[in-house]
Amino acid sequence: MPGEPAKRTKREEYKSTLGEGQDAQLPKKKFYRQRAHANPFSDHSLTYPKCPADMDWASLYPAYVVEEPQDGSHDQKEISEGKGNAITKQVEIADIGCGFGGLLFALAPKLPDTLILGMEIRTSVTEYVQDKVRALRAQHTPTTNASTHDFQNVSCIRANTMKFLPNFFTRAQLSKIFLCFPDPHFKQRKHKARIVSYTLASEYAYVLRPGGIVYTITDVEDLHNWMVGHFEKHPSFEMVGEEELEKEGDVCVGIMRKETEEGKKVERNKGMKFVACFRRAEDPPWP
Amino acid sequence: MTLPFQCIEAYSLPTERSCEWAVFGVCGSRLVVQTSSGVTSTWPTEQYPTRSTEPADEPEGPPGKRVKLSPPADQIMNFSCLTLSNGKEHIVAITAEDKCIRVFRLDSENQLQQLSQRCMARRPCALAITSDDSTILCADKFGDVYSLPLQYTPEDDMTETPIPEESETPAEKDYKPAASVLTVHSGRNRKVLEEQMKQASKGVKKSKEPLKFKHELLLGHVSMLTDIAYARIDERSYILTADRDEHIRVSRGPPQAHIIEGFCQGHDEFVTKLCLPTPGVLVSGGGDPHLYIWDWVNSRLLNKFCIRDAVSAFMKTLTEDKSNLEDKISKTVVSGIWNVPATSTQDVILVACEGVPAVFSISLGGTNGPPVLGQTIPLTGNALDVGIISQNKEFCTAIVSIDNIHKPGSTTEIREDEGPNRLQCFSCKGNEWHEDSDVMAKLEWLNRRALGDEGDSGTDSKVTSQSPRRADEKALRDILYGMENLRKRPGAED
Ligand SMILES: C[S@@+](CC[C@H](N)C(=O)[O-])C[C@H]1O[C@@H](n2cnc3c(N)ncnc32)[C@H](O)[C@@H]1O
Repeated sequence: MPGEPAKRTKREEYKSTLGEGQDAQLPKKKFYRQRAHANPFSDHSLTYPKCPADMDWASLYPAYVVEEPQDGSHDQKEISEGKGNAITKQVEIADIGCGFGGLLFALAPKLPDTLILGMEIRTSVTEYVQDKVRALRAQHTPTTNASTHDFQNVSCIRANTMKFLPNFFTRAQLSKIFLCFPDPHFKQRKHKARIVSYTLASEYAYVLRPGGIVYTITDVEDLHNWMVGHFEKHPSFEMVGEEELEKEGDVCVGIMRKETEEGKKVERNKGMKFVACFRRAEDPPWP
Repeated sequence: MTLPFQCIEAYSLPTERSCEWAVFGVCGSRLVVQTSSGVTSTWPTEQYPTRSTEPADEPEGPPGKRVKLSPPADQIMNFSCLTLSNGKEHIVAITAEDKCIRVFRLDSENQLQQLSQRCMARRPCALAITSDDSTILCADKFGDVYSLPLQYTPEDDMTETPIPEESETPAEKDYKPAASVLTVHSGRNRKVLEEQMKQASKGVKKSKEPLKFKHELLLGHVSMLTDIAYARIDERSYILTADRDEHIRVSRGPPQAHIIEGFCQGHDEFVTKLCLPTPGVLVSGGGDPHLYIWDWVNSRLLNKFCIRDAVSAFMKTLTEDKSNLEDKISKTVVSGIWNVPATSTQDVILVACEGVPAVFSISLGGTNGPPVLGQTIPLTGNALDVGIISQNKEFCTAIVSIDNIHKPGSTTEIREDEGPNRLQCFSCKGNEWHEDSDVMAKLEWLNRRALGDEGDSGTDSKVTSQSPRRADEKALRDILYGMENLRKRPGAED
């Protein structure tokens, strides 16, 4: 739902004032607000690749595009072959239901060598993140602010991850998945709409490599228990403590607590935050 | 009047000299069978109110319009799926309205006997049976796959409430709101919560009783499942599932069904049917112009075959009226794919499409080449289902269920006169299909007489106004032609 026509026009007008290049301004959220809940079951007119190989990663991460060899020889091994130009790295981190992208922009400078992708079902919220990525990249030039991050390693797409995750990622492609403050869908009738379930855990396990981590955080205790229950029941995951991750040098939990927009809201209201992380186990032997 | 069989199944036990077989059909809410020795059986056995209470010669309008599907019972339940166990001992069926999985067998007198009925929480869409015949795999409308023991034993009933599953939560007996005002901070969450508190104060809403019989959630898609297949290659077992989006998923078989091995990605439209003609080969079809042929173990596309072209060529020979034809052809939906037991060196499948009065015989071509259309077998009505009898090594017979109510080529227009047959039989020798009048003669009861007089109950035949019949026509259409409805209409809710 791209918003009511009037709102959309306003946003377009507004967007034309954002400017380009170094003077690019960061977008303002108020022009991108959208009805809170999108139905993950309905047939949105989504665009998605048929398979990961069809994905045009180059347009999302232009700084990583593989230069076409001058002599025209197509010697492109060891690189992902997208439909557009290939890129030299694969996305390794997915923030599912990234909202306005607070976590993405906090993670990107901390993991500068890793490609991070936000996935969000709401159109204009996605657009906000994309506009912000564009602005941050434009503001950065090697001469003026070489010490700041260039945000070339972060991007965002519109996607219904509950249906189409395997269209974007191959088996074992990801090392981290974030599920931050998912919509709680309190009513029992709506539990199938929750982004965590025993059966969805199989898909998360499919795109995660063994040893990879799923991070969850919520302010709703019941949802926390639900997520823990479903991941713990799933043989491909084992729960791992925050301390253990920190000992391994993982900075993500701290960032997730502080930097998501929902996390900040909860902070302001002095609410509780429940964190749970799960490690992708090796698949058991198969005859 | 006779109604068509929405599903049929056949089994055959070829021996040295002859071949024993049985053909099962479901018609509305009844299951019937006829065997090669001529024995017939109907389930349930109770007779509906007969027509004897009314004069037989009462003028009643065109018989073709008299469509009545079910006994005048409180609950209408129509069969939607029929599968035979590998050992041919059991028939497993789904009745749609009561979401029920029913297991039948033929007793020593070849009479149908229902062994168990288990009603699921969500409507089952498709079934598969593991190769050892121990387990039914049930794929449902919500996208989940459950396993149930094929043989139901009351001792297996779960006495305790099972661990919360996918769509089942811990019994909400002690209903507590899932959050408190203290823990919810965003405006929208708070609104939901307030709603919930209101409800809680009104008292606990009754949640559905958990299913008592043994069943286990194996895997799930966030999309309606359309078909499921079970395969064994060497020591490994697999479950293949297809959904209303374009996905075909390959998972490990139980007890490792939570592990996804891969996806066969390529369809542009919903997938309706999966067929595993030879080990390692999958043929899939649905709302796409093409059938896809896969090396599914390696998630690799081997070939495509344009079924829409075959349908188009055939439909153009069928009618003069080309007005709606292009539109119709663009909506071609594969409604069935059947493996033909090897009668030659080629792997052959039969394919049917919704509302098309033909079956297409296609040679898969193996690794050597692309699939080719061997033969288009024209029918006297739309193809509904196919059951195959393996007569011996050289030849097999396809029993095709025919829509004798709708006009050939249409899923909406009713015929003026009821079609002549609701079955047609074709035998295949070498690579050629010929109509088989011998088998047809043997199936006379099933073809014309089974349930013939029961379509009308005493009460219902007195209803002469148009509307109830229209409703029945719609009900019949829904039973026979549900698949085109699966096509997405994007933008509707976005
Ligand atoms: C409460 S917000 C949290 C946003 C962000 N992660 C944060 O912590 O600030 C949940 C987000 O998930 C998105 N979402 C819900 N279902 C989704 C789906 N199936 N695919 C992608 N995004 C989804 C919603 O649109 C919403 O923006």
